[in-house]
Amino acid sequence: MDQIMWIALFLKIAVVLACCMGSVPFLVWFERRGSAWIQGRVGPNRVGPFGLLQSLADVLKFFFKEDFAPKNASRIYYYLAPMIALIAPLGALTMIPFGSYVEVAGQVINLQIAEVNAGVLFILAFAGLEVYPIILAGWASNNKYSVFGALRGSSQIVSYEISMGLALVSMLLAYGTLDLHSMVEWQSSAAGMWGCVMNPIGALIFWICTFAETNRLPFDLPEGEAEIVAGFHVEYGSMKFALFFLAEYVAMIMASALLATVFFGGYSLLPGFSHLVGWVSSAQGWPLQNVKAFFEFASLFLKVAFFMFVFVWVRWTLPRFRFDQLMDLGWKILFPLAMLNLGYMVALVTYLARSH
Amino acid sequence: MDLSMTLEDIFLFAFGLVAVGGSLVMLFAKNPITVALGLLSVLLATGCTYGLMGEHMVATLQIVVYAGAIMVLFVFSIMLLNLNNLKFDLAWPRVLFWASVAGLAAFFALICINVLYFFQSKMAQHQWGEFTPEKVSELGGNARVLSQALFSQNYFSFELVSIPLLIALVGAVVLAKRKLN
Repeated sequence: MDQIMWIALFLKIAVVLACCMGSVPFLVWFERRGSAWIQGRVGPNRVGPFGLLQSLADVLKFFFKEDFAPKNASRIYYYLAPMIALIAPLGALTMIPFGSYVEVAGQVINLQIAEVNAGVLFILAFAGLEVYPIILAGWASNNKYSVFGALRGSSQIVSYEISMGLALVSMLLAYGTLDLHSMVEWQSSAAGMWGCVMNPIGALIFWICTFAETNRLPFDLPEGEAEIVAGFHVEYGSMKFALFFLAEYVAMIMASALLATVFFGGYSLLPGFSHLVGWVSSAQGWPLQNVKAFFEFASLFLKVAFFMFVFVWVRWTLPRFRFDQLMDLGWKILFPLAMLNLGYMVALVTYLARSH
Repeated sequence: MDLSMTLEDIFLFAFGLVAVGGSLVMLFAKNPITVALGLLSVLLATGCTYGLMGEHMVATLQIVVYAGAIMVLFVFSIMLLNLNNLKFDLAWPRVLFWASVAGLAAFFALICINVLYFFQSKMAQHQWGEFTPEKVSELGGNARVLSQALFSQNYFSFELVSIPLLIALVGAVVLAKRKLN
């Protein structure tokens, strides 16, 4: 690799990290204001304009809190768990393409951090690693509540991973590739369509599973104030808790980005953006491809923002499930439905291949 | 031997060290969770090594299957059964113990010599089978080649392998049922 590629690699990592981690305080603020709006309350509105600096104040508080660890905890795993919790979704995020390519000094720079041709499988691999921090945190803190929370959380994630994988497989049948770039290209090509149009049930199953995978309401069973307090992270305080909190939001962003890429056209331009691209590039004299890449990034960003809004919306619309209801939904409804949907996709793909 | 190291070499050695360290932890740790996590670090490090060689498919399968599925099951069952205070009291005769240690050491030395020999002669790099990297990329990537081979010429053996898995599954259910009654 020459110099430009190295600089581009570091810039890509910086952009993705900044967009992902930098938007978390804003998302927390948005979640609190959004829930207040849905519940007819005011929400945080004192710190800064519209309460925007509330999250900053919270982070400052986390930094200055006492770094406490329980006496009988297994030290190594206790400190390791929050780290893995953040590393796993961040690692998966490196596979998400956030634009087609830009041309700088005659070099074509692919807008994806890790160019792996088995991208989807890699994301599944990192999603599989997301179980470890929950198990480790629950086990290492030497607390019965946290062990119960860990058992609930890990069994929930493992169960819903199956339906999630099957929904992904049904789309892989249509795309015929594991590469996320080619998937987006297929969806934006003339012969293709958005994955959710072709496979609406698969998209719905995948969407539901992302809620369970990220432990969000209505599936936030690993926590339960009344039964098991804060679940697997009951013994975590200060920045260690903040890492878990951050990891949950990063996992939500990652799941939304994957959902957008596989089922909702990924970085392909939103309707109307193609006119905007031509207008901006001719008015400013900027190269067309780079302007297009910027608007592709904006499209993906808007789609992810919409899915993040749905996360908040669902949270205050649907009541929580009971644990057995959660398992019933996962194993007795979503899993058979995903299998049936796979059969439907096999038939559809065969039919489309015959008719062409 | 060429001593100039590229970035890839440094990473390769780092992952190799993690793998060796993890296997030592796995062998000598007392706590069952530590043993399982030692094995996990070995699996992850070998997965990273495959990735460094450019075999992303194999690396991914390694992580998905072993780290993501099998080791989760291991850690889960260790936690559930709470094997924390299990102690094995192995009363070995002293002579037999040292004999087995010596035998293992000899075996390990043989492996080391073998690996070093092949490492220096670069034999491993010259022994390509039917599928060279160029041919694999020409045919459309690892995943495509693997699945085509699996579902055409190796179809029968692929299906045959699933029968032992089925037998193991049924056996596990039978054993669990008997314990309940």
